Amino acid sequence: MSDSKENLLKGLSDAVVNMDEDETVKLSNQVIEEKYDAYEAIDKGLADGVERAGKLFEEEEYFIPELLMCSDAMYAGLDVLKPHLKKDDEGQKHKVVIGVVQGDTHDIGKNLVKIMLETSGFEVVDLGRDIPPIQFVEKAKEVDAKIIAISTLMTTTMDGMAEVINILNQQNIREKYKVMVGGGPISQGFADKIGADGYSVNAAEAVRLARKLVGGAA
Amino acid sequence: MAFDQMTPIERLTAYGKGQEIDRLPCVPIVGNTAARVIGAKVSEFRGNGKLIAKAQIEAYKLFRYDIIRVFTDLYTQAEAMGAKVHYPYDETAYLEAPAIEDISQIDSLSPADPYKDGNLPHHLEAMKIAVDTVGKEVTVTGALTCPFTNASFLVGAEKLVRLILRDPEKVHKLCEISLETNLRYAKAIIDAGCTPSLTDAMSSCTVISPKQFKEFSFPYLKRLIEYIHSRGKSVTLHICGKTSGIWHLMVEAGADCISIDNDADLLEAKKAVGDKVRLMGNVRPSEVMLEGTEELVRHATIECIKKAYDNPKGYIVASGCSLPTETPFRNIHAMLNTVREVGYPVNSRILESGEVQ
Repeated sequence: MSDSKENLLKGLSDAVVNMDEDETVKLSNQVIEEKYDAYEAIDKGLADGVERAGKLFEEEEYFIPELLMCSDAMYAGLDVLKPHLKKDDEGQKHKVVIGVVQGDTHDIGKNLVKIMLETSGFEVVDLGRDIPPIQFVEKAKEVDAKIIAISTLMTTTMDGMAEVINILNQQNIREKYKVMVGGGPISQGFADKIGADGYSVNAAEAVRLARKLVGGAA
Repeated sequence: MAFDQMTPIERLTAYGKGQEIDRLPCVPIVGNTAARVIGAKVSEFRGNGKLIAKAQIEAYKLFRYDIIRVFTDLYTQAEAMGAKVHYPYDETAYLEAPAIEDISQIDSLSPADPYKDGNLPHHLEAMKIAVDTVGKEVTVTGALTCPFTNASFLVGAEKLVRLILRDPEKVHKLCEISLETNLRYAKAIIDAGCTPSLTDAMSSCTVISPKQFKEFSFPYLKRLIEYIHSRGKSVTLHICGKTSGIWHLMVEAGADCISIDNDADLLEAKKAVGDKVRLMGNVRPSEVMLEGTEELVRHATIECIKKAYDNPKGYIVASGCSLPTETPFRNIHAMLNTVREVGYPVNSRILESGEVQ
């Protein structure tokens, strides 16, 4: 039984949108068995599904539980497909260092941004939560990141965001990185005030911002 | 500048009866900013009911707002049930680790004893001192984190929202055990002569859908509110973030006053549920109160009053959520002073011009 490639890709995308982890794994295996291109299956199947889920989230059809389940399905499919990628498939991806700033352990928002960035073709280095400002800078240098993305839900930790930018300035490397900020208490005004390169109100918006900051496609 | 003519209790009582009042009730939701009022470090509140009481009483005396709320962070009940809370030296505490690592450990959880566990006894002591000291003139409330939000601190927020779709029965079980802690704590708060003040951050439409709210949060909120009502207390329910999709359910759960965040609109809330419930909100805590000028605070306060002063069930001028610790005193004064200038019945000339002398 050989499905057409288009049907398979559509099936993968639908399985992600429908939060169906088993179906995603099944179809991913089918992609491999039928010797279709793994990269295309990720790009036009799994990533397409997450993008559609992101739209449903923006339209308030989906909420955080659904979005997380979609991402679980996507990652399950990715585990199957990734080992079959050809070496040059991944090309040079723009790297993003992301984390929740020190003093805060709310990380759902950060995780959603990470998922959306990864599925949009960025390579994301996730520092986790409760991260001291200096670590953002050190990791960005280490992995040669293009973007530093900082999240917080607590007003007490907003100064930590400014501190990341201060450190970049002190080390005379501010121009090497784009800094984007987000989270409950953050506003465009705050981003401007601390000299960040951008602010986004939600995860889907964060992808658009990241693309803009690196000058086009991821 | 106008001065208050009534005590907060006189004002709220008269306002509730539709009698004459000197100004609208006003509650800039002061949390750990109270530490700044007495020059204490935030971490000193841990295990020190006397200090919490002193800070909250002094903050009230300084600003003269209408409700005292004993609050340090959202985690007190979860901590009393085994969650690990980190206390930075001088910033608001945050959750370090939930009470259980995995949902399979759910049977190890038990409801907290408010007189023994965690910091609950100290918070109760703070409430008792506050009500003994200033309780004749101002309502003293104790912050109570509601079942669904407390459940998120027991197992972790991300795990909880996944369980909604993967294993809904476990979510109900976590909410049930949280509710039991809530009911015991609510009883202790009321026995201390105070009123529970409900806060439910995770029940927001920013996190879960209205349908999920109805299934997983609403039934427990309703039972909690029924108990508080049975003790003769009215209930203010605060939910952060987006809430327009659940206002009618917050009302149906029994809330007498809903406190809305700045992701929600007072005008819309007035149209949707204003004939059934008092509204409270929603000057931006971070952008306006923490970072704005006094002029911006005045402007934002007037904007809120314009939208909601004629709400059929009444309106309390407030910040959208708890104020950041470092909120400048001058901005809190500016909110109260604006409300005093506008007076009641509201001075429509001031509302129109948006200017305050």
